Amino acid sequence: MTPFDLAEPRTLREALALLDPSDATVRPISGGTAVMLMMKAGVLRPRRLVSLRAIDGGLAGVQAGTDGELCIGAMTTLADLGHADLVQRGWPVIARTLRTLSNVRVRNVATIGGHLAHADPHQDLPPVLSALGARVTIAGPKGERTVPVEALSTGYYETVVARDELVTAVIVPPLGKKRAAYLKCTTRSADDWPALGMAVVLETEGDAIRTASVVIGAATDKPTRLAAAEGVLRGGRADDATLARAGDAAADELGIVGDPQGSAAYKKQLARVYLRRAVRAALG
Amino acid sequence: MAGLRTIRFRLNGEPVAAHIGAHENLVEVLQGQFGLAGARESCGQGLCGCCTVLVNGRAVSGCLYLAAFADGAEVTTVEHAERGEGLDAVQEAFIEAGAFQCGFCTPGFVLMTRQLLAEHPDPDEDAIRHYLSGNLCRCAAYPEIIEAVKLAAKKRKLHPRTKEER
Amino acid sequence: MKRATTPTETPQVGRAIPRLESWQKVTGRAEYVHNLRLPGMLYGKIFRSTFPHARIKSIETSAAAAVGGVYRVVTADDIRTIVPEPYYGPAFHDQPILAIDKVRYVGEPVAIVLASDPHVAEEATHLIVAEYEELPAVYDEIEAMTSPAIVHEELKPAGTFPDLKHLKGRRNTNVALDYHLRRGDAEQALADADHVFEHTFRTQQVMHTPLEPLVSVAESREDSLTIHTASQSPSFVRIEIARLLGWPENRIRVRAPFLGGGFGAKLYIKLEALVAVLALLTRRPVKVSLTMEEQFFTITKHATTFRIKSGVSNDGRITARQCEVWWNGGAYADIGPRVTQKSGFTAPGPYDIEHVAIDSYALYTNLPPAGALRGFGIPQLVWAYESHTDMIARALKLDPLAFRRRNLLRDGRPQATGTLMQDAALGKVLDRIAELMEWERPVDRGTGPVRRGRGIAIGFKACVAPTTSLAMVTLNADGSCIVYCGTVDMGQGSDTAMAQIAGEVLRMPAESITVVHSDTDATPYDMATLGSRSLFHMGNAVRFAAEDARAKLRALAAEAGLPPESDLPAGDVFRKRYGMQAGNVIGTASFIPSYTPPDYATGLTPNATPFWMVGGAGVEVEVDTETGHVRIARLVNVADVGTPINPKIVATQISGASIMQLGFTLFEKMTFDAGQLRNASLADYKIPGFHDLPREMVSEAVDAEQRTGPFGAKGVGESGTFGVSPAIANAIEDAVGVRLTTLPLNAEAVYRALRAARNEPLEND
Repeated sequence: MTPFDLAEPRTLREALALLDPSDATVRPISGGTAVMLMMKAGVLRPRRLVSLRAIDGGLAGVQAGTDGELCIGAMTTLADLGHADLVQRGWPVIARTLRTLSNVRVRNVATIGGHLAHADPHQDLPPVLSALGARVTIAGPKGERTVPVEALSTGYYETVVARDELVTAVIVPPLGKKRAAYLKCTTRSADDWPALGMAVVLETEGDAIRTASVVIGAATDKPTRLAAAEGVLRGGRADDATLARAGDAAADELGIVGDPQGSAAYKKQLARVYLRRAVRAALG
Repeated sequence: MAGLRTIRFRLNGEPVAAHIGAHENLVEVLQGQFGLAGARESCGQGLCGCCTVLVNGRAVSGCLYLAAFADGAEVTTVEHAERGEGLDAVQEAFIEAGAFQCGFCTPGFVLMTRQLLAEHPDPDEDAIRHYLSGNLCRCAAYPEIIEAVKLAAKKRKLHPRTKEER
Repeated sequence: MKRATTPTETPQVGRAIPRLESWQKVTGRAEYVHNLRLPGMLYGKIFRSTFPHARIKSIETSAAAAVGGVYRVVTADDIRTIVPEPYYGPAFHDQPILAIDKVRYVGEPVAIVLASDPHVAEEATHLIVAEYEELPAVYDEIEAMTSPAIVHEELKPAGTFPDLKHLKGRRNTNVALDYHLRRGDAEQALADADHVFEHTFRTQQVMHTPLEPLVSVAESREDSLTIHTASQSPSFVRIEIARLLGWPENRIRVRAPFLGGGFGAKLYIKLEALVAVLALLTRRPVKVSLTMEEQFFTITKHATTFRIKSGVSNDGRITARQCEVWWNGGAYADIGPRVTQKSGFTAPGPYDIEHVAIDSYALYTNLPPAGALRGFGIPQLVWAYESHTDMIARALKLDPLAFRRRNLLRDGRPQATGTLMQDAALGKVLDRIAELMEWERPVDRGTGPVRRGRGIAIGFKACVAPTTSLAMVTLNADGSCIVYCGTVDMGQGSDTAMAQIAGEVLRMPAESITVVHSDTDATPYDMATLGSRSLFHMGNAVRFAAEDARAKLRALAAEAGLPPESDLPAGDVFRKRYGMQAGNVIGTASFIPSYTPPDYATGLTPNATPFWMVGGAGVEVEVDTETGHVRIARLVNVADVGTPINPKIVATQISGASIMQLGFTLFEKMTFDAGQLRNASLADYKIPGFHDLPREMVSEAVDAEQRTGPFGAKGVGESGTFGVSPAIANAIEDAVGVRLTTLPLNAEAVYRALRAARNEPLEND
């Protein structure tokens, strides 16, 4: 690792001013786990890191919003997010997902903002947050904007967050009566990057599925909504036949990509199986 | 020199200062400037836990933690454990259960076990495996480590920690 | 009290005492070379080849050397100013300290940057530019037999292995060594057999990944060197460095404290020759400390192909077995030839077979070198022969346990080499596995997507021979005891075991005994800490040295005019003899068991090994037929370790070995793309963690005795690896009727096999 300038701005405005839209050698750092890994691997050689850790007020913390939404400050650590009473009661799928996300030490340090800005397609939270309809607020020199989590990542380690912008918050709509599950399939050691992650959020009316939000992770270069599978589920029941059709739709609608965790053909099979299992898990 | 700075923090209860480069990680500073070799960089990716250090009471992977981030913080290493001649309940339990072989990963396990028992004083096996799943042992002393954690939990119940030990 | 010297009548062997170094390990105080820092020390960061096989046209180092803080950049040309012929290796002197003329695998060290700041050194390596002329490369062991891509122009066997002389100067081949065994007439017996079965099995390249990565430090004085190294073989290091430098051994001091894991990775020469020469070039201490990633480019485990053919009679007797084993040794031989030969002769398995033919080949390829890894080739062999044996039983509709029992070697019967089995509790181990598995109980295989099954497997290993261990046991003026032995404690508990053995002889508590770590200035010669040899060889040496010390103390008592039966505490004897607290008694012993080398043509010998290791496993699995995931519900490990010196440590050695082998069985694999390693890190090369443990595990040593071992004991470090892989494959077949013949048995591999079995193969990408 080469020496770099480490700036420690005290305000969000200062931090934004230190970023440069055209300079890839200036990077923000919050928890630092992903940035450190990239620097040690030699894929990131920053001239300057802008630490967000000293920024005063409001960027960390978990609160209920006025409409019962979950408002998460971007600097909230994943550990704090998972332990928050509000999250465990109101969005248990997030708390459960965090339990198997990396390890305790990483969760103690990594922040939700950094996690989302990193955009590794194998990550667990992006598909879950996408399925929940969450959005992020992004601050930049021209002010603030909102982007659905689903639209955040554009490819491997690429997001719509510009070089001079920062994620400041994540807002998750209330779960209400919806039922959600995230299943993570690992294919080597049990504790590993997933071969795929299946996030499912369902609204049911009696036996029938009214709405279905299904997002798959680790299958392509970014978390992807399985619209065809959703179409099969919507209005149907969670019986074997429907789930089989939904699984087939899931396997077929995406250009699934093979990686060290599984070939494309195998992941298609996993998609089929895990869609069914995730729906069953959500419905309890 | 570019990036050189002074950080001030508390290390194992004592106020200290260090001159560091911004790019240095916490493990290399603890080893190089304070002679504390209990935390070791092994996998270099935060996956094995050999580099575990407590910062403000939370376990972090020292090999992924910029030393600069320790400025103003409370840093605790495995060397802090021993007060006088004593070993704490976790260390005693690890010895009695034979929960190590080569010992390279052991400080990380000791610190993580303390964290676990602070949060869950009476963990069952599932909780133990889960909490410690981010620590690797190539010698595979895993079954003995589970026994050690259970034993440590029992010991702590029998002899709750004094204020000094906390 | 911990350090008492009071005599005790409590037997020291058989005590499950905590390890002597426990306090050090739980407080983070144990000494590892990883943590060593010396004043004025330079760190070396290696610049490595990016081609699998190429001529080096040029190495441009000036930009790197000009970086502020860089002390020097070194290439082979600089090495040769100190060592004109800088080639090393335990079997072949084929490995250059830094690449000369050619590179033979991606990751081979080509140059090294020295700086007092390791970050500076590492950054500077990126400024070195090497130009290569690419050569055709070969990666597969079978292909290497006949490939025109030749890794080494000329074979250079070292003097260390008398049986390799015939290979000297051989050219145009990738076969580094071939071993053959012929007993009876297997060809004919196969032709005559009622049934013939032939199968081929494969294993993958994996890495030990000790959590303390390989590391060595050298410091020099005017005409002497000290090498602090994480090494399992300090005596060998001294001999080899002395040979390279042309120095007498007594000018080189090699010391090894605790190792943060070894598993066979830290053997022979790894970084020691490099740091030694660098220390001489710079006259400063030099440390080369590999990253976890770099370990994958240093030493690995042989991938193998094993074609095995058996003739079986109608009444279920194996009458003949033909074994062909190809070992993928990578670019440098390391100890591969010994693996090929010494493990090769157990290829037919622990079975009583009259007609045996074995052909075992060590191949050079353009991959990272393969060497010793816990099991030393045995797990690869057991994978094949225990899968094969199970498949035969199924085909003949025989119970796999009964089939094995019928054919198992018993004490007194000849093994393939002709050596009679002795003190090898094969039957007992197999019986105990069956008992723990409740083999008679019917299995509910299930009807849903998850199916259950069970499997067993048993393997054995010969201890490497001939090898020598020497030990010193001293009594100090106050009667306290010190053991000096070159055995290196890498987590297997050798310090504790040796103290227990000495304590047993001297009637002292083991905890009161100090064990001095391997230091060639103080501890006498030991072949190395490998292959589960130390408990037997060094244990015997320590025992005899302790007996020698006891005898010398008695002689001293006699000198002091004490009556022979007086049995005074040692401290009192010294005081009587010398008039004050003074003096030492120094007991010494050397131990080398007898051995007869095999005939080159037939591979036969009446005395192949001083002792046999036996290990087996029983497994209950759950297979998720929709995804191929295999979960281990229960793993039973049973071994014959003779009479344990420390039962607790023995149990953990058995279980630790089996868990490591689980990783090699279910998911570990070095994946290559045209010679480029794709997964050289623990993020991409996964090793077992807590969530990979079997739900239930039992690890036991059977009641047995190794009569020639110290107090009936023998080695245990590897025995837990033998049966795990085939037991799991056997259990998978039991559960879902598919047979996998290539490791690892990961979820996708199992799923593909399931699909192929129902004629709906999964397409390839």
